Amino acid sequence: MKKVGSVLVVGAGIGGSQASLDLGDAGYKVYLVESTTSIGGVMAQLDKTFPTNDCAMCIVSPKLVETGRHQNVDLFINVEILDVKGEAGNFTVKILKKTLHVNVDKCTGCGICGRECPVEAIDIFNEGLARHSATSVKYPQAVPLVYAINRDYCIGCGICLGVCKAKAVEYGMEDEIMEINVGAIILAPGFDEYIPPEGNKYGYGKFKNVVTSIEFERILSASGPYSGKILRPSDGDVPEKVAFLQCIGSRDYRDGQPYCSSVCCMYTTKEAIIAKEHMNLLNPTIFSMDIRAYGKDFDKYIHRAQEEYGVRYIRSRISHLEEDPKTQDLIVTYEDETGIIAKEMYNLAVLSVGLNPPNDAVYLSEKFGVDLNEFNFVRTDIFNPVQTSRAGIFACGAFTSPKDIPETVTQASAAAGCVNQLLHDQRGTLITEKSLPPEIFVAGQPPRIGAFICHCGINIGGYVDVPEVTRYAGTLPNVVLADRNLYTCSADTQTIIKEKIKEYNLNRVIVASCTPRTHEPLFQETIREAGLNRYLFQMANIRDQCSWVHMHEPEEATRKAKDLIRMAVNSAREIQPLERIRLSVTPKVLVIGGGISGMVAARNLAFQEFETYLIEKGSVLGGHARNIYTTLEGGNVQEYLSNLINEINSNKLIHVYTQAKIENIEGYIGNFKTSIIHGEKKEKVKFKHGVVIVATGADEYEPTEFLYGKDDRIIKQSEFEKLINTTDDIRKKKSVVMIQCVGSRNTEHPYCSRMCCAEAIKNAIKTKELNPETEVIILYRDIRTYGFKELYYRKAREAGIFFIRFDETKPPEVRVEKDNLKIIVENPKIGKISIDSDMIVLSVGIVANGVENEEMGKMLKVPLNEDNFYLEAHVKLRPVEFATEGIFLAGLSHCPKSIEDSISQANAAVSRACTILSKDEIEAEGKVACIDITRCSGCGMCVENCAYNAIELILDRRFGLVASINQVLCKGCGACSGNCRCSAIDILGFTGEQIYEMITGRVE
Amino acid sequence: MVILMGNIQEENKNIEHSMKEVAYNLLKNKEVDLIIGYAKGTIPLSSSPSFIINQKDVDNLIWDNLCHVNLARYVVPPITKIIDNENIPLKVGIVSKGCVGRSLIHLAKENQVNLENIKIIGISCNGIINRKRIEKELGEKEIIELSVMNSEIIAKGVDFVKTFFFDDYLNESCKKCKIKAPPMVSSQSNVIVGGSVESSSGEDDFSDLTEHESKTPEEKWQTIVELLSPCTRCYACREACPMCYCNLCFVDQNKPIWFGKTTDMSDIVSFHLVRAMHVAGRCVACGSCSSACPMGIDLTFITRKLEKIVKQRFDFTSGLSFDILPPMMTQKMNDKEDFMIGEH
Amino acid sequence: MNEAAIENKGEIKQWNPKIIAFLCNWCSYAGADLAGVSRIQYPPTIRVVRVPCSGRINPFFIIKSLMDGWDGVVVSGCHPGDCHYISGNLVARRRFAILKDLLDFFGIEPERVQFMWASAAEGERFAVLIKKITKLMRKVGPNDRFKKKW
Repeated sequence: MKKVGSVLVVGAGIGGSQASLDLGDAGYKVYLVESTTSIGGVMAQLDKTFPTNDCAMCIVSPKLVETGRHQNVDLFINVEILDVKGEAGNFTVKILKKTLHVNVDKCTGCGICGRECPVEAIDIFNEGLARHSATSVKYPQAVPLVYAINRDYCIGCGICLGVCKAKAVEYGMEDEIMEINVGAIILAPGFDEYIPPEGNKYGYGKFKNVVTSIEFERILSASGPYSGKILRPSDGDVPEKVAFLQCIGSRDYRDGQPYCSSVCCMYTTKEAIIAKEHMNLLNPTIFSMDIRAYGKDFDKYIHRAQEEYGVRYIRSRISHLEEDPKTQDLIVTYEDETGIIAKEMYNLAVLSVGLNPPNDAVYLSEKFGVDLNEFNFVRTDIFNPVQTSRAGIFACGAFTSPKDIPETVTQASAAAGCVNQLLHDQRGTLITEKSLPPEIFVAGQPPRIGAFICHCGINIGGYVDVPEVTRYAGTLPNVVLADRNLYTCSADTQTIIKEKIKEYNLNRVIVASCTPRTHEPLFQETIREAGLNRYLFQMANIRDQCSWVHMHEPEEATRKAKDLIRMAVNSAREIQPLERIRLSVTPKVLVIGGGISGMVAARNLAFQEFETYLIEKGSVLGGHARNIYTTLEGGNVQEYLSNLINEINSNKLIHVYTQAKIENIEGYIGNFKTSIIHGEKKEKVKFKHGVVIVATGADEYEPTEFLYGKDDRIIKQSEFEKLINTTDDIRKKKSVVMIQCVGSRNTEHPYCSRMCCAEAIKNAIKTKELNPETEVIILYRDIRTYGFKELYYRKAREAGIFFIRFDETKPPEVRVEKDNLKIIVENPKIGKISIDSDMIVLSVGIVANGVENEEMGKMLKVPLNEDNFYLEAHVKLRPVEFATEGIFLAGLSHCPKSIEDSISQANAAVSRACTILSKDEIEAEGKVACIDITRCSGCGMCVENCAYNAIELILDRRFGLVASINQVLCKGCGACSGNCRCSAIDILGFTGEQIYEMITGRVE
Repeated sequence: MVILMGNIQEENKNIEHSMKEVAYNLLKNKEVDLIIGYAKGTIPLSSSPSFIINQKDVDNLIWDNLCHVNLARYVVPPITKIIDNENIPLKVGIVSKGCVGRSLIHLAKENQVNLENIKIIGISCNGIINRKRIEKELGEKEIIELSVMNSEIIAKGVDFVKTFFFDDYLNESCKKCKIKAPPMVSSQSNVIVGGSVESSSGEDDFSDLTEHESKTPEEKWQTIVELLSPCTRCYACREACPMCYCNLCFVDQNKPIWFGKTTDMSDIVSFHLVRAMHVAGRCVACGSCSSACPMGIDLTFITRKLEKIVKQRFDFTSGLSFDILPPMMTQKMNDKEDFMIGEH
Repeated sequence: MNEAAIENKGEIKQWNPKIIAFLCNWCSYAGADLAGVSRIQYPPTIRVVRVPCSGRINPFFIIKSLMDGWDGVVVSGCHPGDCHYISGNLVARRRFAILKDLLDFFGIEPERVQFMWASAAEGERFAVLIKKITKLMRKVGPNDRFKKKW
């Protein structure tokens, strides 16, 4: 069957959106389908995100808007999958588009229908804590901003039909069936949270002041039911004492799921911090078994919660809650680590509920023919966590296992990376470039401004005197046409605008209506279709920021609308047409680091016929994985590695250089030039490439503690792994003691190395398998077997492996005695224990190579974090790339992680790189910084202020040292211009002159 | 307060002597092509910058408590390009009191001077006498000779002798100056001559600003209006400032003309306000702007505030180190934001 | 809603200062939009200039606004850490800290120039702060001190 250059993405949360954007940008036609009525998923429901406390809405909404508007992404909401046929490269999918009873093309999202609807229905978005009408959008920033009628609640009164000026309400609208042909499928349906069943021991559903963590998240949100105030549901009082109960529905063989939900420890800590920030008198207490802060900078976050916010952590699993019927406070009974049983009263209890597979997982698995695992998450390949059991169908996000946002985003890109590998020869075949008329030359002409003022039904017209405002606009200098429309955004008005541009010879257009954040691209497209440069446009926001916020002061609102329009006209007068800079791309890649991450990336790229230079500082490929024999889940690492190395070595498009060192890298996205020296003879090679993938890995910590190096019975976990995988020695050992967190989570390395717990458990189980007589004891601080790894923790306990906890402040003591080794460890409950052993295994952490990373960081102009790992562009949403465009990141040099996660990250980096490599030319945004070198004195402040390394100082023949802006790298933020003393830098589209005109020229 | 030991005039003479010796040798050994220093001015009680290329002219150099000009100004393009006929930069020896040295370090940080071409002839400065204040107090009487003896300034005229307490009649910025000699720059073979190289210790408490800062906005505005109303917009302050090296000053720009050139109070204040903004985190408090002002406006009143802002907000003092980025070139996640408005 | 209505009715006869508000596109402008979508009422005193980032805002804009007779200036950006452009707001914060200190030193009432953070989810906060700022501005009255006379 012929391959098809299109992709179906199922589920439009952050994962599905990211995958769609990656693929759309790489030249595939994407069908993004979503079962609810808007995109954004769970992330759009969150208030803040850990560990940076970023505002979730701030960071996700630009991405959602981009997804909704992407010309290669077709978005369908409110759909159901009916049938999937075909095979990898060519699937046929039948989709049911359920009616919204609102015409998506006509609805302007103005919301009149919702306000007038007399029926109250439950608002899903606010977790049932607030109410909405039967016609609703999920949340105010929803994409697409389309209202839907919920027929379950609708009484058919016809009011919405009457009030909708856009005539978008269609009661008779029927469901539709659509059939699409795609080459690959990505499943990103996310998760559903665990809901405590009726009769649960925590009184959820019975006690009013017991809420789930996701409900609490909405309580915290500024746009939530209590506008960000923390109030308890029973009486609206501020809860002073709040208890967070961990592992509700997770690590629970009886009532919930046996696996660990991976994110709860962190999101709870975040909720506790934010709650404390919102209301200082609040005292949060978190009851948990282990604190699983295994991700990048997570431990520091926990530390901050304790030190700065006074969050109290108690190691105890709470089995039930009681309610004081008078106060409706809750009574928590717990046994602390030392064995003391206590009772405490709390005003509010938050259940940190786990992540379940999506409710329709079984349905999806049947329709798509993919296997599920025992818990109904999708089953994936042991070395490729985004590959499902069916070729051509990939999965990402929480559907593969519970995970947080950055890992979801990484997997989304990884899935897109795998699609790229599958469909690379079909790239660009199904997308259409819009044909546009040539641009009218307007430079130097006096401005002829057309002003279109919107009534927005009654949204503006009901409060602002639109005819008067229109009359006023007509009186402003250079305005040759002032017109008003019922809905300026409707399709017929676009035609009118185009006609008026021709009729009046307009060379600037302003629209006074709603917000440019959602509508500017639409109008820009319209004027471009009429032959005007798309930047000859300006908007005045007279709805969201005027009529809607001054509903009781029509006169003032009208006055304000006039001011805003005058400011827009003033600014429009100064606008110049802008060009988007185009730059050619060298479709070749430099991959730095020949470990698993680097090799997976190189293999994928070469498969797509991109020439790749893979350089490795050592003399052989393989990196860190050479010391690992199996994964916890049983994957054969050595076999995987040798196959991979063979593939790399036999691929003609991959140039492997070992013992290589980069001498110099110059250039920027699309056009890098690198020179290296390699081999024993230190030969010099120079090459050009379009992107860089940094996968330089990290090192194993070399311990100095616990007498390591003083006695050969004290070894590192990796040495132990080698021992049990290559020798029989273990049969002779009576007792093995493993010590966790060696070189991790201490002052020198204040982070968790993530994999040591899994490694220890893996090798402990293996030891037991080899010799059940060997006693294995693991001394730990927290066991961090997140996700499905938790099952192996249980398996280890069942196999008779002992786990003894010690406190950070009281590390075990190791003594070498004549015949054996003695370990003294203090457990909070039992007290001091003395263990005799004949082998001590140190679970050493992962450390970044600070010197090398710093050198590389300087060469590439990319930053490191405090622990010398590379710092990605955005912790949550751009986890595999740097702020400097065209440079990507994978593997251990980002932070400690598993082999599978490194592979995902490598494929994700490839996907991100493909958005550049797939194009002959890349186009920069038009609104960027520009420099007047006659004014520049080369002080270099802008160079330091630029977060994107877009500015450098160059020596000009006439003006000496001056700043030079790479407009391809520039994002147009203006940090440079805001500080420039000489006014040498200006921001196109937001020029000083435009702003000057807006400030001045007031008419009283 | 700095306790001045011994005879200041004598100390200065010694410095002057060693400075000449150093300058002479630098020229003689061809280590530099040019010496920039101070010479006697053409009118009494003045000093002027002096550019010396011949060893024999070294004797014209002087050093006393009237050498107010910040010589760093003369090595900064676009004002001065010190090059030979082939456009190759010349080596310059520059007589540097503390503030001049600090200016040079900061200017190097901003790529305006190349310290490899500069020999800092570092000298320890006891402060610059506020000549205008003395003249003002003497009214019509003309001073012929000004000397410093022990802790007193002695002004002699044809028919009078009057003394002033040295510490009280220094430039305002000098009174609070803690960095008398140029900070040592590694990589640079500085030549420090004369007195105490060590900077005097102790934290600046900026107590001199407390009075103004505790006023009401109305009173503050009045003070500023009184201070600045004599301004004729001659821009001598700007021309004297080594940090004002823009090719085109903001006040001279058109398209758009952000700020007017009139002597409307709004225009005057905005000029000084924006100029202050532009030298924030860069100003070394040399006081050249004040010394240069023909109307006698004490602009150090404003520069003192700048010093305080960057010290207290960003723990920064200009021109001390190469390794620290000036405050406007960087930022920190946890910078203070007490000035911002919040809900509570 | 009713509360806001009454409050607004009470205010309607009061003097409305003219305030120019520079809002960053990604957080504060979105926050102001959200206030609108949520119909949270606030006094009709601000006129918004949309800028890409608070880092774009040159002190010129603020000083010129005062000279030109605006009664007040509001600058609002993303909370630290939320900046769409990584660190533009942090660069801006240093600049504004210095400017605010200087304006105060020069005798411009501190109420007149306000810097704030508002996220895309903080429609309520945006409205609350605009109300608060309007109130403060009413207290200090029209800007005739720094306004250019001729």
